[in-house]
Order: sequence, then structure tokens, then C-alpha cells
Amino acid sequence: MSSVGAARFVGQSVARIEDARILTGRGRYMDDIVLPGMLEGAFVRSDLGHARIASIDATRARSMPGVLAVITATELEGAVSPLRVEAEIPNYLRPVFHALADGKVRYVGDPVAFVVAESRYLAEDARDAVEVDYEPLDAVITMDQAADPDLPALFDDVGSNVFYTEAMNFGEPDGAFAAADRVVSAMIDSARVTHVPMEGRGGVADYRPGTDELTYHAASQAPHSARQALAALLKHPADRLRVVIPDIGGAFGQKAGLSREDLVVCAAAKMLGRPVKWVEDRIENLAAAGHAREETIEISAAVNDDGTILALDVKMRLNQGAYPMLGTPTPLFGWIVRTMIGNAYRINHMRWSLDVYASNKASYSAYRGPWAAETLAREILIDRIAYELGLDPVDVRRRNLLTLEEQPCKMMSGPTIEAVAAIDTLERAVELVDYDGFREDQRRAREQGRLLGVGFSTYIEPAPGPPDFFAAIGFTIGGERAVARLEPDGHLTVITTQAPHGQSHETTLAQIAATEFGVPMAHVRVLYGDTNTAPYSSMGTGGSRAATMASGAALHATRAVKQKALAYAGDMLEISPEDLEIADARIRVKGDPASGLALGELAAAVYASPPEGEESDLRSVALFNQPSGGGYSGGTHVCFVEIDAETGIVRIPRYEVVEDCGSLINPAIVDGQVRGGVAQGIGIALYEHARYNEEGMFVSSTFLDYLVPTAMEIPNIGVTHFESPPTDEVNYRGVGEGGTIAAPAAVLNAVSDALGGTRVEQLPLTPDRVLALIDMADERT
Amino acid sequence: MTVEVAVTVNGQLRSAGVDARRTLADFLRHDLGLTGTHLGCEHGVCGSCTVLVDGASARSCLMLAVQAAGTEITTIEGLAVDGELNHLQQAMGDGHGFQCGFCTPGFMMTATELLRENPRPSEAQVREAISGNVCRCTGYESIVDGILRAAELIDE
Amino acid sequence: MKPPLFDYRCPSSLDEALALRSEYAYDSVVLAGGQSLMPMLNLRLARPEVLIDLGRVAELAEITELDGGVSLGAMARQRSAERSDLIRERAPLVQQALGHVGHPAIRNRGTVGGSVAHSDPAAELPAVCVALDAELVARGVAGERTIAAEDFAVGFMTTALAPDELLVEVRIPAAATAFRTAFIEIARRHGDFALVGVAAAIALDRDGLINDARLVFTGVGLMPVRAREAEASLLGTSGDAAALATAAGLVTGELQPRTDAHASGDYRRRVAGVLTRRALVEAMA
Repeated sequence: MSSVGAARFVGQSVARIEDARILTGRGRYMDDIVLPGMLEGAFVRSDLGHARIASIDATRARSMPGVLAVITATELEGAVSPLRVEAEIPNYLRPVFHALADGKVRYVGDPVAFVVAESRYLAEDARDAVEVDYEPLDAVITMDQAADPDLPALFDDVGSNVFYTEAMNFGEPDGAFAAADRVVSAMIDSARVTHVPMEGRGGVADYRPGTDELTYHAASQAPHSARQALAALLKHPADRLRVVIPDIGGAFGQKAGLSREDLVVCAAAKMLGRPVKWVEDRIENLAAAGHAREETIEISAAVNDDGTILALDVKMRLNQGAYPMLGTPTPLFGWIVRTMIGNAYRINHMRWSLDVYASNKASYSAYRGPWAAETLAREILIDRIAYELGLDPVDVRRRNLLTLEEQPCKMMSGPTIEAVAAIDTLERAVELVDYDGFREDQRRAREQGRLLGVGFSTYIEPAPGPPDFFAAIGFTIGGERAVARLEPDGHLTVITTQAPHGQSHETTLAQIAATEFGVPMAHVRVLYGDTNTAPYSSMGTGGSRAATMASGAALHATRAVKQKALAYAGDMLEISPEDLEIADARIRVKGDPASGLALGELAAAVYASPPEGEESDLRSVALFNQPSGGGYSGGTHVCFVEIDAETGIVRIPRYEVVEDCGSLINPAIVDGQVRGGVAQGIGIALYEHARYNEEGMFVSSTFLDYLVPTAMEIPNIGVTHFESPPTDEVNYRGVGEGGTIAAPAAVLNAVSDALGGTRVEQLPLTPDRVLALIDMADERT
Repeated sequence: MTVEVAVTVNGQLRSAGVDARRTLADFLRHDLGLTGTHLGCEHGVCGSCTVLVDGASARSCLMLAVQAAGTEITTIEGLAVDGELNHLQQAMGDGHGFQCGFCTPGFMMTATELLRENPRPSEAQVREAISGNVCRCTGYESIVDGILRAAELIDE
Repeated sequence: MKPPLFDYRCPSSLDEALALRSEYAYDSVVLAGGQSLMPMLNLRLARPEVLIDLGRVAELAEITELDGGVSLGAMARQRSAERSDLIRERAPLVQQALGHVGHPAIRNRGTVGGSVAHSDPAAELPAVCVALDAELVARGVAGERTIAAEDFAVGFMTTALAPDELLVEVRIPAAATAFRTAFIEIARRHGDFALVGVAAAIALDRDGLINDARLVFTGVGLMPVRAREAEASLLGTSGDAAALATAAGLVTGELQPRTDAHASGDYRRRVAGVLTRRALVEAMA
């Protein structure tokens, strides 16, 4: 652990290192990159949902001022390999497709051609002059349509729009259902939404014909895997392919994988021998950058009259849109749902089925807590159970949540549960919000015709999860690397595999390293995002890994450098390293602050004349593996709503989160992650919908139609921290996804509660829908 | 058609010859190299591109550069005074106002206008004032708190 | 998302502007505050040959007293109207409505005339003009005419302006100062175009009975929509709860809003009734 006397930055809300540039307008985002001779591109995109391409005429576009190229699938042939999800999965259809639409368009926004010109203005002029002749086909929009064999298959080579099905049992559900007092059912139809990073996707490809070097400035959460995929698909030698990320204006999963557009931009730069920039505009981002959450879950519980849940029956359907994301087989999202749905509850039996459908919509992609459907379905089911059995929803949770005394134990799906204190977060939340007092207020308000409601949502999430979690979902990521290096001036450089885009890793990892090393924060520099220097990771930033994995790697890399430094200093000072410590950037004899030497002196001496027989520098690479215990974050959300009974407008006067993410590295950063996550969850519950009409037209194509909540819609969000017992020295866990996972259920349960337990099955809860629910509630009473 | 546009940006007279169709945002970013102003939607909803034109907040994606000729423009690069963060920047840094930083210029300029017109706003007034700016990272509370804290700092 | 090519003209006087409008007519668009036009240009939904920028026509920016009422130059910024003491005193409905128009940065640039001439059926100011019996002054090279606000919109985002005419002034008559007013709307998010909104204006006689009433709705049709039956039902009443309920019921009966992505026609109709009652209560207060 940290040295005696060293400043402890971990646990403090220290100011963010990132803010020095962000608050002064000196960030460098994608569109800020300007290279000599750089060209700019614009995509011609399909304005139909489903059609054959009869012809593309780019003659006029190619002759327009400043236009260098109009690239279609024909020009890309040979430059970019055909695309296909790599992983072979039984029952999973894997069509072959192309970076640009080849013969067919499959959703509104499908890239058809790429126009490269001297400026974006000129590129758009020429884009509008590209004439594409389409032969429209029937659009496949809903999952029911996808299941209809009479409608056209999106991909001729696989011949069906039912892309995957599975069904299996965990434990012995049949027996449990037969033994139960009754069965309670719920259903949720979660609307397709989209991530909406404030900066869209984009890239700048910089190709140097002389040396065959390709540098891709990518908006990527995972630079190394982007590099690997680019090398393979462009058939470009990996040693001459560098991926580097600029500042990234948010991602939330949308920039996790390489996109078709990335391939086109790189191929264009190689063809033209000049740098090419593409900056996705908002219209493209909403239509084509990836959507999420279009799922339905029918869920039933076998329960006893006291509220004990004996078993679940879960039918999940997922609409993946047209093209699978490269590198991510869509069933994976269902597998995480399958794995996590039992969660922190004592549920040992389940019937499960999953269907994945293809449709004429944008690709389903990972979005902040991609498996959140499990928490949404389970938590609304629990409220149904309470309502139908005449119990209190808090009591039903209490009765079924695992206690610490029962742990370690296994979820029915396999992963070990250890040190999970979800039930304690529930108790803390109940206390915090004066639950009984609220019920009294609610009764009084109802007498005056005011509709108040409260909703709970309790959950855990793998953040990053124990090792056997990954075995259960059938997807391994492995350990996390970090490099630490003492520079000649005594400052410490830490290089992480993370690709931060708002998560403040420059700050949190510096806190870890500075605390461990015994130097001021200003003496630590965190580098990232350049495949030439960053250690390898297949994942980058995602999966709530950073808090545990990147911190653990940075800690151990720093510790190893520290041991080296102490050993060298011991030699120089002829004193045992055990008697030395580092504090305030000095190596000194324990108990004698005036002794020793500055780290800079040591480093300079080692670099100038490395001691014989010793390693010749002050650098270390650590590989940090998942600690075996724990691995979960979690908590309880409590949402209060007031519904205007005449207009259906839902207001959230109060929202409380009791969060357990272990020890906090930087409380202000944790709170920011929680609040931001909740805001997106509220968006999913009440406002957001990436909507297609019956003809397959995308009708949420602007910010006037796709409603991201503002400061008027999102309330202050109380955050209370709860620390479950530590299982490892590295007791920090991820906290980016939980808010978005838990919030929709809390909001939905609160609305249902305000309406006397009316079933709420469809998101988002538009005023229109809420008014209809109020009518239903009125009819019942 | 090219027009010569001269503006005073952050106290400096700057000019460039641009297409009449060039937006003020692109003029600032690409002709003058002031990339602190960001484009988040280019249809006037997200507020990321907000700058002050003669002291009044405006969406720079909804103005042509030529419309701004002769005006005084303040961008986020103009907030710090002699390299020192101003009160608003200080408060936002202290309170972790932002995360990814992309919406930041718009909020900072909107808040600058608000605090000049209403030096001690209530929380409700702050929320109303920034309701034309979208942030996807924070849930807004840290931004609201930062503006309220900046008002206190300015007062002190 | 970049604007298409166009010829840019920036007249420095109204006469010059009118000459340009007359010359280019349908091939030109007029840039006032740009808060609706610029998005359309960026999205390339508008592709004019010529763009006529009224920004340097200083004579159109005034807000002045006019025969006991108010005159708003077409290029008066919405923010100026929002802060004008004269308007606060004579036509507070304008300010009540402006609070719902976009956000401060939009109102800083957006103009009164631009919003009225754009004639979006979800917009607030066109409804306000109808509620206050505003006169809209159109001018062409041939001369000037006034158009009653109620006759101004002739279809979806289509106005009675001839292609060579400009809207130069909005006149709110002295009679409008007698109104007690309120503007309420329901939007999914604050500042968005409303799902449905209402501009309510009522005048009382000496006995405190309603002798004039206007209920003008946004978001329920192709243009601002008056609920005439409901208005008539209020006359001679004291605006008591029963009268308000009757008016609200008539509104729900007589409006026929359409369904779109944000709300159904039924929702709009029903909420229009609710807003009627709420707006009248607020106006009477």
C-alpha cells in the first residue's frame, strides 16, 4: 500500500487534469484535427429502408468543383475485405456484407457512397449530385415482421430474418412452477434508443504512400482492437498501422467497435494518397451510428403467497437491425441478460429463451449497460408480484435478495456472488427517503386528486465481474496492462490501455499512481490512446473495467517501478531498500525527512549510468487480472414521480441513489458517472425513441424529434455511497453503467405506483401514453 | 461567392475571406482556428456552438459568418483573463462541472451571459437558462452547481 | 450539414430589400433572425438561389408606441420584445408567449417578423397575433397593405404574403390592451415546439362579465386555430368554474388536431381543453 507519510490522493475529489484544456477551449476533438493536404468526405446514405440499388450515377458529382473521388462498393472491391461477424455460433446467421452498400440498402442511413472533396461544403454539394436509382422492397420493421417468412430476407445469403434462437433451462424450473402458489407475469417493450454522444463518430486517416504508413485518428473506445480489425480488413501490415485517439466527445458504447465508415475513410486515404477526414453530423449520428435497447421481455415468476420467488420464465426478443456490429455477435447481449437476470436475488430456476431478429433499421449496438433489460424486466416483475399479492414492493425485495451471510454462492447462471450488499443498499435507501412518511403523503395527495408515486430498483452489475462471469457469458477479455516509467526528471508516466472520453481516467489513474509512488499529482502524467505506445488491450474503455482493471494495472506497474527505484537508491545510499520510503517526490530514510535524494536525482543517475548487472531503466509493465472475489457494483435507486393527471406529464421531484462501487477513487467523478447514467435512464423511460414508421422511414432524425432530456427534465440526483466489504486491495469498481441500468425500472415502477399498480409495459412514457394509463387506472377503480 | 468578414474575436480584430454560405461556427473554427467552439447538431438545438455576439448568446451554427461582420464575438477561448481561469471556469473545475467536454463551450458561454444579466440566479433560473444546451454526460447537476458557485465567487 | 451555395444579398434599406425581393421572388429566401431558416439551409431543405439578409435594414428593428397600441418592426429581436416595457404594459401576452419560444440564445437572434412570416402552426407568436387582432403590414415595391392576423396564414406554413412582399411590421391595436391574457403550452421538453398550446385573451365589462374572448391554439392544425364556439360560450359569463368547464368542453369538441410522432390527435384535443381551463384561470387572476 502507499508509503507512510505520502499524500493520499485516492479518495479525494481532486480537480480533474482534463479540465485544464476542456474549460479553456483547448481540447482537440476530431474535427479540430487539420493535416497538410487534408481532404474531407461525406457519405451518400440510403433514404429508403429496404431497396435494391439499380444503379449509381456519380458522373456529375465527380466533375464538380473540388471533388477528388466518389467511392462506391465497386471502387472498394479489393481495398476492403467483405465483412462478417467472426465468431461462429451455432444457430446464429452470419451474413456477408460490405463497407458500402453492395447491390442493396438495408436501412435509412445505409452508406452507399463516399464523396471526397477539398472541403466538407464541396463534398456535400457533390453528395447531393450522386444519383442512386432504387427499386424499393417491402421494409421489415417489427420483430413480428422479421419472423414472417413471406417478407423479403434482408440478406440473400442467409435467407431468413430470424438470426438466432435459443432456449434452455437453469435449475429445474418446471418443478418450481408446479410447486408455487401462483404465477405472476409482466411484460416490457423497451423502445429503440440511441447513445447520442455530443460529438458524433468520425475519423482522420493519414496515409503516407512512400512508407505505406497509415495513421488513423479514430473516435474509438478501443484503439488496439480497431487497429487489429483495420489491419485485417484493409489487408494492411499492422506494423505500419497506428491508431491514435483525440479527445472524444462521449461514446457510451457507440464507439466501441470499428464501423463500416471507418474502413471507407481509411480506404479513401490509401486510394488518394492524402489525408481524409470524416466527421459524422447529427443527422447521420441519429440515423446510422447505432441504436440500442429494442427488446421485449415477457417474464413470469413462480411465487409463493409470501412473495418468495421460486423460479422465472423469461422470453427475450431483440431487434438487431440490419447489420451486426463488427466484432460483436448480437446474441451476446442476450447472453449477458440471461446471465445477470437472477442478479442479487435468491432465484435458482429459470426457463429462458432468446430470439434475435434482423430488420431494416440501424445496427443494434452496445449502449451503457447493454444488458439493462434484465434489471428492467425483473424489477417491474417484482413490483407486479407485490401488487398482485398485496405486499409492499420493498418487502418483496427484502424477502428475495441475498444476504452477505449466504455468500459466497453462485447465481443460477454460474457466476460467483461474493461481497454483494444489494440488500443493504435497499435498507439504506428505505431509511433515506422516509418511505413510510411518503406513503402517508401519497395517500393524502391522492385525496386531493394528485398522483404521487415511488419506484425502487435494486441491482448489481458486473463491473468488471468475477472471472467466472465471463465464462458464463462465453466471452473473455482477460487481464489489463499498464506501463509505468520514471522519467529522467523524476516524474512518473503511466500508460493505460483505456481510451477515456469523459471518464476522467487521466485524473483517477494519476491519483492511484501518485498515492502509491509518493509524489504530487503534478508529477504523474497519464498517457493513452496511441497504439504506438499504449499496451495492448482488446477492450479499451468499456464494460466498466477501468475502475478495477486499469486502476489495478496502474497500481501494480507503479509499485514495480517504485521497488526498482528503492533498490537503486539503496545501492546508491548503501542502505537497505526496506529502510527507505518515498514521500514528496524524495527517497528518504524512514523517519528522517531531511535524508536521501530527490527522485529526479535518482532517475538522472540511473539513466546516465545504469548500475551494472541491473535492469537498465526504470520502467515496468504490469498485467492485472480480475480478482477472484467480488467484482460487482450495484445499489438501489428510488424514484419519486408526480403525474399531472390531466396532461400525463411526469415530473420527477426527487431521485435517490444508494450506490455501492467499493472504495471511491474520486467521489466527485463517481457522482458524475452515477448522475449522468441516471439521466440517460430517465431519458429511456420518459423521452427517447429512435422511431421508424411503417414504411421503414426513420422519423427521429433530428434533435427536434429525438428528445434528449435537458436541465429542465433531469432533477438533482442524491447519491449516497455504501461500501460493501472489500475482497481485494484493489477495491474500486466500475460505476459508469449502473445509473442507466437501474433508472428506467425505478421511473417505470414509480409511474405504475402513482397509478395504483397499473401495468406499464411500453417505453417511453410519453404524455400520451401516460394519459391512456391514467384512463385504464380510472376504469379499474 | 467570397466575402471578406472582419470581426473582433476575444478582443482581437480578425478577418478572412469566406464563402457567403460559411457558418459563423465554421468561420471561427476553421478560418480563425478557434476550435474551442463545437458543433453538436448544426440545427440549433444542442447549444454546443453557442458564442456571444455583441454580448448576447447566439448559436454560431445558425448564423452565417457574414452576418457577424463588424460584431464583437466572445468564445470560450476568451474567458480566461491573462492566462488565469475566470470565476466560472474556476467554479466548474472545482465542482467537476463537465465530463467529455464537448458541450462545454456552449454551457460556458450561456452561463456567462446569464451571470452578467442576473448575477445571483436561483437554481430554477439557472436550469431555465441552460435548458437550450444539451449535455449527455453529467445529468446537469454539476453544471447547475458550478454556475451557482461561480455566482458566489463573483460576489466575493 | 452545411448550407448549399447561394447568392448573398445584404440590402441596407427597406427599399433596396423590396427591390431584391421583387427581382428574385420565389428564387429567393429572406433571412431575418435565421433561427428557422438556418437549420433548413444546413439540412439543405431550403436551396435558394438568392438569400436576402435583412440584418442591416435598421428601420425594421424598432418597437414603438402606435395609437395607444404597439408597433413591432419585423426585425425586432424576440429578446427585445421580451424586455420591452412598452410591450409589458400594452401586450403582455407577447411576453407570456415568448417565454416559451426556444431558449434565450434563440430569442436573442430570432425576430418577431421572422417567426410570424415563417407561420409554423406550432409557433407561439402567430397565435398571439391572432389573439390580439394584430395587423400585419406587408410591403412590396408597389406599396403597402395590412393583413388581419387571422387572414395571414392561408395553409401549412403558407401566408397571404405575395412573393414580392415582405412582412415589415406587426401592429397590436390599442383595443388589445384591454385584454387579460395567458399563454400556456404543453411540450415534451421545455422550449420545444408545443404538443398543444393556447393563447387566451379575455376582456371584461364594467360588471366583470366577459365581453370578448379569444382562444387561439398552436399545434392543433395547419395554422393557428381559434376555438370560436368556446369563445362565444364565455361571453356574458363571469368566467366562473362552470363557464370555464363549458368552454373547455367545447374546445375538446371543436378542435381536430392530427396525430404525429409526439402525440395523438386525441391527446392534443383533450389537453387543449385542459389548457383552456388553466389559461382562463390564469388570465382571470
